[in-house]
Amino acid sequence: MNGHLRRCQSALRAHVRHVGVRHVEPLPGAQDLLGFRMPTITALKRDFEALVGRSVTLDELEAALPLVKGELKEHVPATDELRIELNDTNRPDLWSVEGIARQIRLAERSPKPLRAAKTPARIDSRIRVTDDLREIRPYIGACIVRGLGVTDALLPQLIQTQEKLAELFGRRRQTVSIGLYPLQKIVFPLTYTTSAPDEASFVPLGVDRAMTLREIVAEHPKGKTYAGILAGCARYPLLVDQRGEILSFPPIINSQVLGAVAVGDDELLVEVTGTELRMVMLAVNIWAANLADRGARIDPVVVEYAWTTPMGRRVATPRDLSRAVSVPSGLVAQVLGDALRPAESKRLLTSYGHRVTVSGSTLKVTPPPYRDDIMHPIDVVEDLAIARGYASFVPEMPSQFTVGSLSALERYADRVRELLAGLGFQEVVSSILTSRHEVWERMGRRGDPEGLVEVDNPMSESFAVLRPTLLASLMRIEAASSKAVYPHKVFEVGEAAVVDPAADPGCRTEVRAGALIAHPTAAFSEIHADLESLAYALGLTYRLEPIPHPTFIEGRAGTIVVGDRALGVIGEVAPQVLETWGIGMPCVLFDFELDPLIGG
Amino acid sequence: MLAPEISALLDGLHPLEVRVLLAFGEVPSVAEAALRETSGLDASRLSMALGWLLTKEAVRIERETVTRRASLAEAGERYAAELVPELRILEWLAVGERLTVADLRAGRGLEPDEVSGAVGALKGLGAIRIVEGGVLEAVPGADVAEFHALQRLIGALRDAGSRVMGDPSTADDDRLIEQFFKKRGKAKGIFRIDEEKDRSYALTPLGEALAQAVAAKGAVGEEVSQLTPDLLKDGAWRGKVFRKYNIGLRPSRVFGGKKHPYRAFLDEVKTRLVSMGFEEMRGSLIENEFWNMDALYMPQFHPAREIHDVYFVREPRESRPIPEPFATNVAQVHESGKGAGSVGWRYPFDPSRARLLVLRSQGTAVSARTMAGRPKIPGKYFSIARCFRYDQVDATHAPDFFQIEGIVLGEGITFRTLLGLLRLFAVEVARAPEVKFLPAYFPYTEPSVELHVKHPKLGWMELGGAGLFRPEVTLPLGVTVPVIAWGLGLDRMAMMALGIRDIRDLFTPDLEQIRAQRAVVAP
Repeated sequence: MNGHLRRCQSALRAHVRHVGVRHVEPLPGAQDLLGFRMPTITALKRDFEALVGRSVTLDELEAALPLVKGELKEHVPATDELRIELNDTNRPDLWSVEGIARQIRLAERSPKPLRAAKTPARIDSRIRVTDDLREIRPYIGACIVRGLGVTDALLPQLIQTQEKLAELFGRRRQTVSIGLYPLQKIVFPLTYTTSAPDEASFVPLGVDRAMTLREIVAEHPKGKTYAGILAGCARYPLLVDQRGEILSFPPIINSQVLGAVAVGDDELLVEVTGTELRMVMLAVNIWAANLADRGARIDPVVVEYAWTTPMGRRVATPRDLSRAVSVPSGLVAQVLGDALRPAESKRLLTSYGHRVTVSGSTLKVTPPPYRDDIMHPIDVVEDLAIARGYASFVPEMPSQFTVGSLSALERYADRVRELLAGLGFQEVVSSILTSRHEVWERMGRRGDPEGLVEVDNPMSESFAVLRPTLLASLMRIEAASSKAVYPHKVFEVGEAAVVDPAADPGCRTEVRAGALIAHPTAAFSEIHADLESLAYALGLTYRLEPIPHPTFIEGRAGTIVVGDRALGVIGEVAPQVLETWGIGMPCVLFDFELDPLIGG
Repeated sequence: MLAPEISALLDGLHPLEVRVLLAFGEVPSVAEAALRETSGLDASRLSMALGWLLTKEAVRIERETVTRRASLAEAGERYAAELVPELRILEWLAVGERLTVADLRAGRGLEPDEVSGAVGALKGLGAIRIVEGGVLEAVPGADVAEFHALQRLIGALRDAGSRVMGDPSTADDDRLIEQFFKKRGKAKGIFRIDEEKDRSYALTPLGEALAQAVAAKGAVGEEVSQLTPDLLKDGAWRGKVFRKYNIGLRPSRVFGGKKHPYRAFLDEVKTRLVSMGFEEMRGSLIENEFWNMDALYMPQFHPAREIHDVYFVREPRESRPIPEPFATNVAQVHESGKGAGSVGWRYPFDPSRARLLVLRSQGTAVSARTMAGRPKIPGKYFSIARCFRYDQVDATHAPDFFQIEGIVLGEGITFRTLLGLLRLFAVEVARAPEVKFLPAYFPYTEPSVELHVKHPKLGWMELGGAGLFRPEVTLPLGVTVPVIAWGLGLDRMAMMALGIRDIRDLFTPDLEQIRAQRAVVAP
């Protein structure tokens, strides 16, 4: 299976690369400070209140949202809609109005935490899984929901939960995808099996004609979106019922006939397929908890595999995967800085949904079945802190003495910046990510660039390479500044990167200094004088070695050499280069690396 | 004793003004030409000085006469030699030439607009008509005296050079001049008329008072305007009076060298972090997934690690093998939590994936390497790291950005110490003592917290994210003490301080805009 997953991942990458830059859309959702996509859910306030069990003001809601690491983004009074952003990308149980309401309800009224119902000895609803799925999409879990009553308001919530779980938690349906079906149209037992792409056909949601699996993948919008998941697979997954009627083609699309949930449906089958058994189980549990919170009865389904999974050949779902975690009181005190009595910890953790027993100074904590994020006792400690409220902790100043300092390179770079500013240059900041065209062709270079760090999956060709020097960055400034009063003198001290097999991790980041002068009589001697003054002030002995360089006028360019190292170039920009930049003013510039000058 | 306003004006007089004031003498009204003579100033300097004095209301214009002087324009010079086009056409017709308008336009030395003008004028007078084939035919007996008069006048002007207009005896000529000065539309006029203004100026009562004061003071326009090395050398400055300047005038701005305002802002932040005891760390723009993510306990299936979220390097694709024991420790902790008292993420860790090269997506990669490199304990570290995030470039997303972040290591560090550090940041970096701590999620910290501060102008805003590194992060890297990981998001504050709404303006390539940005001190 591992081999399969790797294949799937590389297939996805290959697919994305193949379809090209413009099809690469970021996942929906805002990013937090560190770049993680955060789900945002929409809910009706009255629905939320019904689930909490009381009316809630917006202020109360905002005050309660830290419990779910949530943030109220918007409330639209006209439609009664709330938009809530969820911060925790590892708590999929919170990405629904039911999950948010549940966490708040627990804190307010400490009802008994949820535990999975005992699996009955006999389960009538069975799903048989054939052996050929092992290498494609091996796992399935499901539950039967009765007495739900799908309304106009509920339907969008079901779709939203399906989308959040499949797209974010299931990584665009790759590891987890979900199907909902009106129960009365299905005849158990079901078979989760495979089919050759041309052998099965059915009417998928969204169209009105039967299509083969191959046609769906090639033509149906959902097929095109998710085709990458099945790339390289000779057979496709298929869920069929006792009569051989097709329920769906996981993870692509449901049948229009058996798989369209509508307002008024009262009994549903919720089915989850995927490549990761625990994730499939967790998704089923989240559905079960969510719909149970709405008063529905959840009946289990038993899955019979043709092989032995890590959970056996016969797996009843929903299935509680929770495992008790031992949390010593000492750890709580050591991490939080406040010693809590075990009874207090128990009360708080219970109000957060855990089942807790105390033995001596150790807490035995079992998380609820809709959570699978507790990997270490430290996770329980955070729940404890959240349940208690971060405001209840008195901040304490770090007391240990340390000496602050800047790196030698940073201090050197700062000195160079001061000197260049003193020589009359305006400092500029340019992006490091730029286009190959700018750093190469536009600088008069021909042929294949050597040592250029290129991005394999650029979002746009404008941001597809890391600049190897500051030359192009300075030229871009000049190209954009023809309206600024002349003379122009600009400089940048900043990072650039080149491929260097000798460096860890295979590319070298350099700090470089570059300066450009542009005005009607700008000439080599002027920039040379500035370089001379800078080098003198830095105590740097350098020499210039004439070189032919495609960026510069022949005979007016040189390599800046310190010791026996060529650190950069200086020269008068060639007219053909100025022309490609659309610059109508003579330019002279230099650029050299600072790193080797440190500590020499 | 002079009235204060006279005294003030007197001090501010330019030497040229002084010379003009003195040139008036006792005469009530002086012509400009006379003033030029008396003051010894050339026309332009005299007119400059008179302009200043008029503004100060020290002189007024007594009388203004305008003399109009006619002379030949470029076309007129030509017609003096070759006859006006009308007469030329009549002469050609008189000798029996067969001419169409097209013939006239080609090779007859006439401009097209001269042809149309002349043909039109002659037709208007009935001196020619156009017959079959567009051929011009002279009509005998028409009165073309006007053109002969014009020709005579041109000849006379050529001989005289110019003539003052307005003399009643040459009223007919003046009429012709006016007619052919304006006429002919866009065609070049035959004559040029120059207006010469002759003004007489008189001193106002204020001017008289000034002139008297100037005379009494004996400053015959000999104030020193510029101190020179020569004056210093021979001591000639002694006894000299220096002209006073009007220092209220606003000069134009010069564009000297200065730091970029955003870099200057970051410099300030850097200084404050150093003053709080933080040591700078640096890292590579390119990292492998191991240090960028694996070592930070981000599972390899984490959504933020997908092709849509991180930039991968095309060549080389991967780094050298990850050094031990880190490679094994981190793989184990992901797979089973082994070595950290955890159950781990429970998936098969792919060691080849760990070597894939990416553009550093988070500054925390620098912290990971620091932790693996025998950091000081207790120790405080920071970096201002350029990071790359897979996002459309827009008003709030630059292709690369500076991330300010770091770590604090030490025995006895707790969640409360973490909050204390964050409050210190709020006060020292943002100057915002009012703070809120909210639960947050990062895969590598537990507990995690978001720092919100009340900014005087922006209101409540997120200033940073932080947490205690999970044991799954620290232990595999050989760190056994608690470690705070923190990151600050200062761009919004910086943009506010710089008066910028669009992050693209922060890094604008337009020098005019960069020059216009003010140096802003961090709050």
